[in-house]
Amino acid sequence: MYRSLAVLLSGLMLVAAPVWAGAPPWERVEAVQNVLDGETPVRGAIHLDLPLVSRDGSAVPLTVEVDSPMSEDDYVASIHLFAVSNPYPEIATIHLTPRMGQAKVATRVRLNESQRVVAVARTNTGRVYADAREVRVTVAGCLARDATYDSDTLMLARVRAPERFSAGEPGEVTTLINHPMETGLRKNGDGNLIPRRIVHRVAASVGAETVMEAELHRSVSADPYLRFFVAPVEDGTLTVRWDEEGGESAVREESLRLR
Amino acid sequence: MTRGRINRRQALKLMGAMGAGPFLAAGGRIPPAAAGGPAGRVVVVGGGFGGATVAKYIKRFDPAVEVTLVEPSRRHFTCPFSNLYLGGLYQFDALGHGYEELVSRYGVQVVHSMADDVDADGRTVRLAGGETLSWDRLVLSPGIDIRWGELEGYTRAAAEKAPHAWQAGPQTHLLKKQLEAMEDGGTFILVAPDNPFRCPPGPYERVAMVANYLKSHKPKSKILLLDAKDNFSKQGLFLDGWRKNYGDMIEWVGRSQDGEVVRVDADRLEVETEFGTTHKASVLNVVPPQRAGFIARRAGVTDASGWAPVEPRTFASPRVEGVYVIGDATEAAPMPKSGFCANAQGKVTAAAIVADLAGVDGPDPSWANTCYSTVAPGYGISVAGVYGIREGHIEEISGGVSPADADAAFRRREAEYAVAWYRAITQDTWGTA
Ligand SMILES: Cc1cc2nc3c(=O)[nH]c(=O)nc-3n(C[C@H](O)[C@H](O)[C@H](O)COP(=O)(O)OP(=O)(O)OC[C@H]3O[C@@H](n4cnc5c(N)ncnc54)[C@H](O)[C@@H]3O)c2cc1C
Repeated sequence: MYRSLAVLLSGLMLVAAPVWAGAPPWERVEAVQNVLDGETPVRGAIHLDLPLVSRDGSAVPLTVEVDSPMSEDDYVASIHLFAVSNPYPEIATIHLTPRMGQAKVATRVRLNESQRVVAVARTNTGRVYADAREVRVTVAGCLARDATYDSDTLMLARVRAPERFSAGEPGEVTTLINHPMETGLRKNGDGNLIPRRIVHRVAASVGAETVMEAELHRSVSADPYLRFFVAPVEDGTLTVRWDEEGGESAVREESLRLR
Repeated sequence: MTRGRINRRQALKLMGAMGAGPFLAAGGRIPPAAAGGPAGRVVVVGGGFGGATVAKYIKRFDPAVEVTLVEPSRRHFTCPFSNLYLGGLYQFDALGHGYEELVSRYGVQVVHSMADDVDADGRTVRLAGGETLSWDRLVLSPGIDIRWGELEGYTRAAAEKAPHAWQAGPQTHLLKKQLEAMEDGGTFILVAPDNPFRCPPGPYERVAMVANYLKSHKPKSKILLLDAKDNFSKQGLFLDGWRKNYGDMIEWVGRSQDGEVVRVDADRLEVETEFGTTHKASVLNVVPPQRAGFIARRAGVTDASGWAPVEPRTFASPRVEGVYVIGDATEAAPMPKSGFCANAQGKVTAAAIVADLAGVDGPDPSWANTCYSTVAPGYGISVAGVYGIREGHIEEISGGVSPADADAAFRRREAEYAVAWYRAITQDTWGTA
């Protein structure tokens, strides 16, 4: 288990050694090890994209794409995202299905400091892919947007899908919910901890069938944002549901129409 | 080698030991190299804040270095204070600065042409007319290019209808004319980009100055600022200043409230947001995505981001030997893309080049920045930073913004400081206030 991780990480060191000086201790990336589960990941089929430099660590755009036919026999089953130097490295785990048509998702993440972001993908056939990017952060994710959260629109959710789909062809869906994603690690003006409050699950379904499900953690930015693909085979309704740990939820429906 | 009080090598050592600033303040100059050839040939591309400064300061540090500045315009019109022109607080002519003093007082050779290409191996620059200039060291300070088409529908042709006015000149005049022609009760829309971009407080000062014009000429009008970000420079101070001076005339919509514009229809003056809302403008001002000026890409100094990474100590390109990049074209975060920073970088890089040509170590760098923004006549705010190198990276050593609870007198003084700053920096850069 340690060895496979070392292989992955040593290869990456060549790319951007300076940012990596100050590397987090191995135990910090235990979360990555757990997902790898002793397997040696393959690079190349997975592409993680983040800016080289971010001037606002509170919302750094992230896109991950895996080359995959996304067919019933061969598809990406899950993508796991980590910010290895955050206090809690887990960003999100996304469960994918062949219904998505394309294994590509985008979100926005919190980066506390300059660090390595890691993506691991597993296929239904048990293959494991990984990729990593170094991001230099010049304003930390925890500094921005202190008291500015606008509670008027709390839990207000938005979804946008293409107006028309071609049957079986993937089209990109954009989703966002207004939510502070309070980490439980932040103090208010009086020095008291602001209680943790997280949207921990986003799920998209067509009819009774789940298309995509994401588990979100504290390293997802405020106002959780998720873009993913759906490839409908007939007219229908896309239902997106967000669940808060406290039990509250929001639901939005969007019609999917074929040309 | 003995014309001055000290010889060249000693002078350079002194510059290194003291930092360039104190050395100059003491009236010091590096004596010229031994009679004969120049101490080196430097070509500077771009006569804006960065380029004019580096050209002048190389000559101040070592008059024996031959410096040629390539800049197509005879007068550079600055973006700083162009918002005040739009607001009716400053004359356009006062934004123009020529190169006479760089030539007559400092001995910079100025060539009014466009640099078309760079041959890094042959160490030459090709000009638009076909001539070539040879260099020992090349400095690029070309500012920004617009990424045409990156924002769907925002092309060169679209900018003739929906101006950006993010490079001062005809675009600034076009926007001013459109404002003057706008009906009372119309909507001015400004589209602000994601980071990084030229002048982080610029869009927010721009809407304040437009509000200042509309308040007295078209008071029933509205301003909508659609933003691809949720956080912006001096956010609290701007929101407060807008409200105090213009009531609810200015509405800001951040990204998480569906503020990000994804498509522009310049013919209909309409924009579409990420989640599909269409907004119609009377006057549409689009600040589009940007990247380093094309000559930086030609020279091979930019990376996948479209900007030029630099060695923190000198702003030398880590990608192409002998080439330095300064100003907006660089990725020098956390330093903002400001005229003040371009000027500060010009001085540090001038010292680094003079030292390098003389074969000695350059001084330890330190840069400063202050961005003043004028919210209304007699109402100014600022953000300041001092930058140095920590663990091989540029870091902000100290900094801050104007106090949130300052009184009217404080805001008035900052508005006056802004004018004084503009006079001082243009005097320092071009020598023509
Ligand atoms: C609305 C607005 C307000 C602003 N206000 C402020 C402010 O208050 N304070 C502040 O500090 N900053 C301000 N800025 C930012 C400031 O304008 C820039 O940061 C600054 O101009 C950067 O300097 P530069 O040398 O990189 O580029 P520029 O000053 O743009 O100079 C680039 C020069 O290079 C020339 N050039 C380009 N390509 C070539 C080529 N191939 N060959 C020859 N010449 C070439 C151009 O003609 C131009 O003269 C503002 C910007 C805007 C848009």
